[in-house]
Amino acid sequence: MTHWKTIAASLDPPVPAEDAERIAPVLEALEQSFRTLAESIPRGADVWTAPE
Amino acid sequence: MTIVEAAAALRAKRVSSVELTRESLRRIEQANPKLNAFITMTPEQALAQAGERDTELARGADRGPLHGIPIAHKDLVCTKGVLTTAGSKLFADFVPDFDAEVAARLNEAGAVTVGKTGLHELAYGITSTNPHYGAVRNPWNTDTIPGGSSGGSGAAVAAGLVAMATGTDTGGSIRIPSSFCGTVGLKPTYDAVSRRGVLALSLTFDHIGPMTRTVRDAAISFNAMSRADYVPPANVDIGGLRIGIPRNFFFDHLDPEVEKAVRNAIATAVTLGAVVKDVSLPDIGALNTVGRVLLLSEAVSVLRPYLARRADFGPDVLALLDQGRMISAADYLDAQRLRRLMYEEFARVWADVDCIFTPATPMVAPLIGQRTVQTGGIMEDVRLAATRFARSINILGIPALAMPVGFSASRLPAGLQILAPARREDVALKMGAAVEDALGLNMETA
Repeated sequence: MTHWKTIAASLDPPVPAEDAERIAPVLEALEQSFRTLAESIPRGADVWTAPE
Repeated sequence: MTIVEAAAALRAKRVSSVELTRESLRRIEQANPKLNAFITMTPEQALAQAGERDTELARGADRGPLHGIPIAHKDLVCTKGVLTTAGSKLFADFVPDFDAEVAARLNEAGAVTVGKTGLHELAYGITSTNPHYGAVRNPWNTDTIPGGSSGGSGAAVAAGLVAMATGTDTGGSIRIPSSFCGTVGLKPTYDAVSRRGVLALSLTFDHIGPMTRTVRDAAISFNAMSRADYVPPANVDIGGLRIGIPRNFFFDHLDPEVEKAVRNAIATAVTLGAVVKDVSLPDIGALNTVGRVLLLSEAVSVLRPYLARRADFGPDVLALLDQGRMISAADYLDAQRLRRLMYEEFARVWADVDCIFTPATPMVAPLIGQRTVQTGGIMEDVRLAATRFARSINILGIPALAMPVGFSASRLPAGLQILAPARREDVALKMGAAVEDALGLNMETA
């Protein structure tokens, strides 16, 4: 899992520690659901452009 | 008055554009202290514009059904010489020297702009409880939110202050306020209405569309706003049209009063000759996840020049921007790849149906300040619940029409969402107009 609070502190301007504390669990949950999806992307799949 | 009614009255010389505009301005003056639907009013400019429209009509120069009709713009649509705040402290003094393309098109169609409507800060949220400009209130019950981010447009149209207001929709921001305020809102196909001159939130799924009292008014407005040479449907015969009813996701965890209203709308369409088919849709929850990754990243890209001004953002918007700053470029690109795969998967459903009916939101309007909501047995964050049926559709870029189809026991509107294939707004509008006619709801607010 990503170290969200470390990243938050390293940004310019940094995300204040108390704000990072609040958003880290949200990002952890998002990462958990997103990672599973990302792992299913077939090789060669292209990015979205516009509705065809 | 609706656009259709006002247009007929103008041509029968029962009323002038100046009279319509004065009445609209009077209503706004009266209602705005209670609703906070408008950030800026433009009375002098509007009356001058209305006078010109009357002169034109008198000499036989008719610009079409919007000629002389008072409208409003969401306050992130740039309007030449008129304050355009985006509901943000960042743009508190921003007066553009140009019109957004959509504003220019509506001017060209003869509409008269009476002011700019309130919104969620930077259109990045669904409550329209704005930390800088105050909470917009829902005319059906002023203790409840109008939805957002186009909350001022929803409140203004629902209260009869204007016949049409523009809205923008990045994750439901036309359809959610339409559902909560009992108005009709069309989120067209991506890019069917130009985004040029509209302050952006996302770079790949901001949509611009109309919010109106009726489906026919939405069709008229979309025709004027759109790049496409769209012709509103002449008839509303829906005999044989195939309606998809999702087996999965859209009828889970739903307020029973909303479900009852939507099921009644489906039954009504069937009595008019439409055919219902059950359909299985791709994983909408997964689409919503992808949408969150994309929006968090894109909003940061748009607002990067202002990120150092932390004190100028409200807490909910700042929290979203902080999240977006931490999403990696690889994750953003993977989300765009998943989006394409999901779009292709979703597109297969159109072989079997012409449109899809879903609830627009799982619940009716929550109270101002309410943080969680119980829907169908689960407790959920209000923001996630309100966007649950809307966000995924922005990722697909397909048209979606929200319209009122009933009320809760507490007399709050319940909304239907009609989805159609890309560039088939005509199908959604025709279906919507037929259902609207048959239901015959009285959408007059108190």
